[in-house]
Amino acid sequence: MSDNKIVQNKKWVLRADNLTRRYGSGCAYCSTITGPDHDTNQCQICNTVIACSGISFELGEGETLGIVGESGSGKSTVMQLVNLSVPADEGELWYRQSGEYDKEPLNLLTLDKFKRRTFRNQQLGIVHQRPELGLNMNFTVGGNVAEKLLMAGWRNVGNIRQRASQLMELTELPPTRLDDDPHTFSGGMLQRVQISKALSSNPSVLLLDEVTTGLDLSVQARVLDLIKRLQWELKIAMLVVSHDLGVIKQLATRTLVLKNGQIVEHGLTDQILEDPQHPYTQLLVSSTL
Amino acid sequence: MLQPDPVEQLEPDEGFRLDALIGQLSGSENEEPAPEQAQIRETLYNFGFIDEDSKREVRRKTLKAVAIPGHLVPFASRDLPVAKGWGTGGLQLTFSIIKPDDLLKVIDQGDDDSVNAVNLRRLIQRTTGVPITTDTTAASIVQTRHRVPEEPLHEDQILVLQVPMADPLRWVQPYIERSTEMHAEMDYAPIWVYMYESVVHSGDMDISSQYPVMVEGRYLMDTTPCPRYDAPSLHMSETLYLYGAGREKRIYAIPPYTRVEPLEFEDFPFRTEHKPEQSCEKCGNSNTYLTRHYIEGKHGGEGRWAFFCSDTSYCQKQILIKTGKKAEKVSGE
Repeated sequence: MSDNKIVQNKKWVLRADNLTRRYGSGCAYCSTITGPDHDTNQCQICNTVIACSGISFELGEGETLGIVGESGSGKSTVMQLVNLSVPADEGELWYRQSGEYDKEPLNLLTLDKFKRRTFRNQQLGIVHQRPELGLNMNFTVGGNVAEKLLMAGWRNVGNIRQRASQLMELTELPPTRLDDDPHTFSGGMLQRVQISKALSSNPSVLLLDEVTTGLDLSVQARVLDLIKRLQWELKIAMLVVSHDLGVIKQLATRTLVLKNGQIVEHGLTDQILEDPQHPYTQLLVSSTL
Repeated sequence: MLQPDPVEQLEPDEGFRLDALIGQLSGSENEEPAPEQAQIRETLYNFGFIDEDSKREVRRKTLKAVAIPGHLVPFASRDLPVAKGWGTGGLQLTFSIIKPDDLLKVIDQGDDDSVNAVNLRRLIQRTTGVPITTDTTAASIVQTRHRVPEEPLHEDQILVLQVPMADPLRWVQPYIERSTEMHAEMDYAPIWVYMYESVVHSGDMDISSQYPVMVEGRYLMDTTPCPRYDAPSLHMSETLYLYGAGREKRIYAIPPYTRVEPLEFEDFPFRTEHKPEQSCEKCGNSNTYLTRHYIEGKHGGEGRWAFFCSDTSYCQKQILIKTGKKAEKVSGE
């Protein structure tokens, strides 16, 4: 493992070391002429886009880590890398079970496709900005929540429906609408369905990708309240990606600030919002309406 | 007990223009084919219509399909004088495995005399000259569409099935690239959700045909539009099942003695659509797959619905065994 650690936390469940993702062939100059100092993440020589580079962090047990930055800063790429949906070009992504801190961690990037999918299903839950990315709109709400359970080998329809109803109650959705079409649900309700689906397999890490973007303010507040309650009740580790500093302030205890694919500042969320050090972070904080 | 004639020449000889042409070319128009006629037939039509390279391609992919039961194997599907979607996959399999000493049976939805079966049978017979039968137990190759014959098949027989839609994941994943990955990773959760939805919507499993099955606990397989009734007959069968989808360019197979398990939930187990209270109005059997037919009434009178065996040759055989006579037309009154 690399020594490039951002926070020394012995009780981490997920740890990234120098994660890098490029789109393009890459050249010898890519790393020297891209990044926040050059105000671009595209190599002017080979046109490779360095979506993210040298991303390192630790996510502690029950902790919420925020990732903030403007559009194109690499937030969603980091989320995709952690969700194992795209391969990393460089770096390592370590995982260890909650409470098993003496055991050798597992490098997720070395897993084969089958094990990755199994891991993603059992240990990760993701909530996308757009519900249609996380839900199959041709299935009922219950069918969507049931998908992860069926993937985990549940084969009893009665038990599946009982579990799905429990999850709907947990996320403040009426269980009577279990067999309804997702098209009949509002945006905020669909985010709750996504959260129900993500929580169905009792994951170790919940990934939230711009969960409140596109929702009106009152619905945003209710979704954020729900996430905070789940965080408190389930003690689940969360990685929250948002360009909205208000969301990060509400949910995250620590925050990484990304610009042009690289981390420019990191620390406690309060500290970053109250006393930003990097000019880019200062700009972000001052731009808040 | 009276048994039906196992080999029945369905096509009249005079209908074979090719044979007449060969007779003219070889200068002998006798009924007995001269040795040189076989060579002339070969130059006019390759044995089994398709060329040897294409047959080799199909055979190689068939071997691969047999080696990996239930796995969809892509193959270079050839054009045939039959529209794609009308049995070209099954035809190519039959043409690539058939030998002059084979005995062929072709059925369509269990029926020996339906248009599709008759057309395909004519094509195969004219380009190979192999004898034809309607008796399932006598045939060495059975080409079929949408049904597995009622009579149990044996080790020395091959069942060739025509497949319109090869991938069972097509209902839930329209992109072939993605569904191939799903098969590779055994990512079959979406098809389980599809089945869950079926239970939620209808209160029971409402998949009547193309019922998804798991082959050897590894690959999800489409049973073609065969009724759900036929799915259990695939399990640990003595016969080699070959599935050919010409339009989709895929071959898959179930070798003999392979585990084939229909997907089912613990509280909604797999059941066939068999109803013991219904029986065939021709042979009286209630232990076969029955299809509903409308019988016209006599003298313009009102007709009625009746159930008959889907497998016509089995039905005929049962009537012959019971009465010693061929089946009579069922009246509407």
